[in-house]
Amino acid sequence: MQRITSVVDVNSQEFRHNELYNRQLAAELKERQRAARFHRPERELERLRRQNKLFVRDRIEALLDPETPFLELSTLAANKAYDGEVPGAAQVVGIGIVAGREVIVHADDASVKSGAWYPLSVKKIVRALDIAIENRLPVVHLCDCAGGFLPLQAEFFADRYYAGRILRNQSILSKMGVPQVAIAMGHCTAGGAYVPALSEYNIVVEGTGAIFLGGPPVVKAATGENVSVEELGGANMHTSVSGTSDYFASSEMHAIAIARDIVARFHRPEKTWIDRVAPEPPSYDESELYGIIPKDTRVQFDMREIIARLVDGSRFHEYQQRYGTSLVCGFARLHGYQIGVLANNGVLFGDSALKGAHFIQLCDKNQTPLLFLQNVTGFMVGREYERQGITKHGAKLIMAVSGASVPKFTVVCNGSHGAGTYAMAGRAFDPRFVFSWPQSTISAMGAEQAAGVLTHVKARQMARDGGRLSDMELATIREPILEEYRERSSAYYATSEIWDDGILDPVDTRSALAIVLSASLSAPIAAPDYGVFRM
Amino acid sequence: MHTLPFDTVLVANRGEIAARIIKTLRKLGLRSAVVYHEVDAHTPAVSMADTAIEISGRSPIAAYLDTAQLIAVAHKARAGALHPGYGFLSENAEFARAVRKAGITFIGPAPETIELMGDKIRARKFVQCSGFPVAPSAVDEDDPEEFVVRARAIGAPLLVKPSGGGGGKGMRIVRNLDSLEDAIEQARREGQRYFGDSRVYVERYIEKPRHIEVQVLGDSFGNVVHLFERECSVQRRFQKIIEETPSPALSPQLRKRICETAVGIARAANYQNAGTVEFIFGAGEFYFLEMNARLQVEHPVTEMVTGVDLVAEQVYAAAGRALGFSQSDIAANGHAIEIRLYAEAPERGYAPTTGKVLLLEYPDGVRIDSGILQGQQITTAFDPMLAKIIAHAPTRIESALKAHRAIREMILLGCETNASFLARILADEAFLGGEIHTGYLEEHPQMAADNFAFGLSAFLASAALLTRPVRESADAVPPLHAALGRWRN
Amino acid sequence: MYHSFEVDGVDHPVWLSASQDGYRLHLGDQVIAPVGFAHHSNSSGILTIAGESEPVRFVIDRDMIHVHIRGRTRTFRYRDPLQTLASVSQEASSLVARAPMPGVVVTTTVSPGQSVTAGMALMMIESMKLETIIRAPQDGVVDRIHFKEGESFERDAPLVTLSKEGR
Repeated sequence: MQRITSVVDVNSQEFRHNELYNRQLAAELKERQRAARFHRPERELERLRRQNKLFVRDRIEALLDPETPFLELSTLAANKAYDGEVPGAAQVVGIGIVAGREVIVHADDASVKSGAWYPLSVKKIVRALDIAIENRLPVVHLCDCAGGFLPLQAEFFADRYYAGRILRNQSILSKMGVPQVAIAMGHCTAGGAYVPALSEYNIVVEGTGAIFLGGPPVVKAATGENVSVEELGGANMHTSVSGTSDYFASSEMHAIAIARDIVARFHRPEKTWIDRVAPEPPSYDESELYGIIPKDTRVQFDMREIIARLVDGSRFHEYQQRYGTSLVCGFARLHGYQIGVLANNGVLFGDSALKGAHFIQLCDKNQTPLLFLQNVTGFMVGREYERQGITKHGAKLIMAVSGASVPKFTVVCNGSHGAGTYAMAGRAFDPRFVFSWPQSTISAMGAEQAAGVLTHVKARQMARDGGRLSDMELATIREPILEEYRERSSAYYATSEIWDDGILDPVDTRSALAIVLSASLSAPIAAPDYGVFRM
Repeated sequence: MHTLPFDTVLVANRGEIAARIIKTLRKLGLRSAVVYHEVDAHTPAVSMADTAIEISGRSPIAAYLDTAQLIAVAHKARAGALHPGYGFLSENAEFARAVRKAGITFIGPAPETIELMGDKIRARKFVQCSGFPVAPSAVDEDDPEEFVVRARAIGAPLLVKPSGGGGGKGMRIVRNLDSLEDAIEQARREGQRYFGDSRVYVERYIEKPRHIEVQVLGDSFGNVVHLFERECSVQRRFQKIIEETPSPALSPQLRKRICETAVGIARAANYQNAGTVEFIFGAGEFYFLEMNARLQVEHPVTEMVTGVDLVAEQVYAAAGRALGFSQSDIAANGHAIEIRLYAEAPERGYAPTTGKVLLLEYPDGVRIDSGILQGQQITTAFDPMLAKIIAHAPTRIESALKAHRAIREMILLGCETNASFLARILADEAFLGGEIHTGYLEEHPQMAADNFAFGLSAFLASAALLTRPVRESADAVPPLHAALGRWRN
Repeated sequence: MYHSFEVDGVDHPVWLSASQDGYRLHLGDQVIAPVGFAHHSNSSGILTIAGESEPVRFVIDRDMIHVHIRGRTRTFRYRDPLQTLASVSQEASSLVARAPMPGVVVTTTVSPGQSVTAGMALMMIESMKLETIIRAPQDGVVDRIHFKEGESFERDAPLVTLSKEGR
């Protein structure tokens, strides 16, 4: 495999400007993540201490094997929702190592609204369990949830992918033979009661943990019965009387030790074999990514420069280098795993779509997972292109992306717009994981064009009522439209809505991909199987 | 074959000394019998002796102090002689009498001598009257109040001792005369409890004194010789830790004087076995301290430099033989150092330690007098001394180095010992320079303090690598994740 | 959750992680690598630590690991988290007077059923030729005296158990 020769001038003015800008963005990301993780009103932390409870981050650190990685997912979920008052959607989800096993950790964050479930909390949990199902990863639930946030119940209760899906996914996981452990560290009430109950193993912490369908106030209201938490669903009752729980823990740390010991009993299924060699770091420094990603998202750059800073030894076996050049395709290794890379070098044309569809099938037949590096404004439009069948070529690429059996991973590196988002394995196409870079944007259309269209529509409406608008008036209409559109196509908005699995500092991308690549291989890879390609 | 009037000797003791005595008995062609309490069933002496007979008592110590039982056992073993070792009943005149009365040879001095020397007050008077130097002192004999007045008159610092004592039990230093009465009271109580004798005596406490003692041997024909001195100044709580011969403190003239004084005292007392005359030595002067009418723990250093088997000489003397050599036949060759391995933690104020000896390996090139076996349980039922390592070399420095190497090579796992403490002393500049006195360890408290952090990572690394769960959890982590380490996004 | 070894009453959190050339040892913030251990027999081996080789003698006795390196001996207790974290609050430890050091009971000054107040002498023990008085850790009634006069005990052994009054 040939090493990519970088042509980036790290001493150029442009590189330094980009670097400064992107480092600022990375610092801002870290700060927002830190705040989402740790900024809590003192009274909330004081309440936890009073209740003899650990902060969720400390619980997770104790659960994980020390000196092993933890890839936290959707850290900034809900950062643009609920007035920013529900950081992380009151949930912590990630992939970590417990007793040497790769597991999904799902933890309620009781320091946020007592761990109440908001609509995006439910979405985040459902997504966590989808990840578990798709990748066959065991789950450790650290339950400490006050129940659903009732004022918003219409947005999380009844629909297909709402709260019921959590319990359904748990059941499916169990049916698949993928075990779960739950620790009741707080009250698990109503629907929440089923989380430990549907787990293969569950542990209740004496004093603080409890499981019941209705808490003491609900019981009092319903039947007039006066009952204590302990009697109703405490650790002692459930482990010695009802059999709802399996293990009695005298403290949270004790419960975590038990959970670790349970996970250590889990059968370790053979990983799906894919070609792998000893890992090698990239031969170009990953931090140079900061200088390559342009400050202005409209500036085109060569994705090979990005690839050179993600893959082993910066080596890249490029496929059809001379054809369909706006889509770079080729083989590389990431932490030793062979992968197929598809990366945008401009708008998609018919030939790039054909090349991509072919390359996907090569990888699929070769058991080679796919990495999509998105920087795409969409497919080329125009009479000539339609006559050449760009729509049917695009359909072939979408058919190939949808039908591929190998795990797919998507990184929104810069722009992700229009049908390009779809053809490059957008969220809807079930890539195992989607990550965004901080400056990336995702929308049906680029902000400028979209604002143009929207301004035009609005101007026409106004013109119908009272004549022509001045340039000044047009600008006043355009500005807020553009602003809102930009806001809603930002990576922060996307991650708030859980359209991705989190924003990554570009330099973290290689390690994050290694972790998810390894995780994905816990599930078998089906034989290639496609729908009809429109020829 | 031997031509002794007995063919079986009962060893009425335990531990290393019982084993050491059995070795000589075997060498002399005598049969050995040893007593043991249940807790000592698995010890070297029991496995070495021709016969081992179990004894019992209210406590393990009580069993070894039970005169009637011991005599009954001696009869049962058809023992014609009894060796009391040290400690226990070795300096109990009543016991020696009872043994003799039972028709058994007591391997030790005559009961009268034991009685004389066992009473520290009488012994001092005797020595003083015989014209030998003793430290200024006050004896508690009549009016207790008057005794305090006399004690006070000597002036601080003072050493308060139970009259019936030995081995440092109940001894107290009084630097402020205000606390004199309290110290006397405490010494009385402890004397009563340990020795059944509440009398005490008070003597001038000599600052930075050295403890020098002289080994003597006498027979029933009035012959008395000395086997040179031993210096036992390295002590903790009046308990000897390191002993050596010759003393680095004595000039040839002083050595001659002190040895001849010891012989004079022994002769005056008509001493007829192995004994030790202890002196306190300071500022070029020495005073009689006491005479131990028994074999000393530290006797091996004398044996190493003189080549005389002291236990054999004890047996011969008890059997009525005349000494086989005269003073001029005895020469000291080289330097010997004995270090005592204790089951105790110097780091924690010499607190006794317990445990099962799980691994025991002795170093080469030194003499080991050991009272333990692998698998043996170390308890607090007895004195914490486990074994002695005796190094013999041409010079003091060489023998210290040899002892140092040996203590570092000695492996004893399962029960904490003072081994690294001994190693620290043997490498200490002051010790190597011979600058020792009985307050040496108080003066150098860092000797007892182990630098715990030193090398801890190597120990923790070993512990981690040897512990299954630790290794298993390391091996369970996939290599990719181990390589990523504590990565967070 | 780190592994933990106790030595002389101090807990040392430890983690071992595999690396290409052996193991890395994590002691708090300190990382020592590579480390490895080659067994020569069931009680001896060679420790390699950061390029140095140390002959090691050892005995593993359940959770106790006795290690001898260069004339020094250390005993570690592996603290199994399942054991050490369980029921920390369960037993009212203050109701038991424990031995501060190994020793022998000299006299017992109370008898079962007797009411005692905090600080009252329960027992006199002897250790290192010194007498130590064991006192009541809190008010209560003597429930059990664990050793008779003359009996010896280990460090941390319960000597006298009290029960709360009126139980």
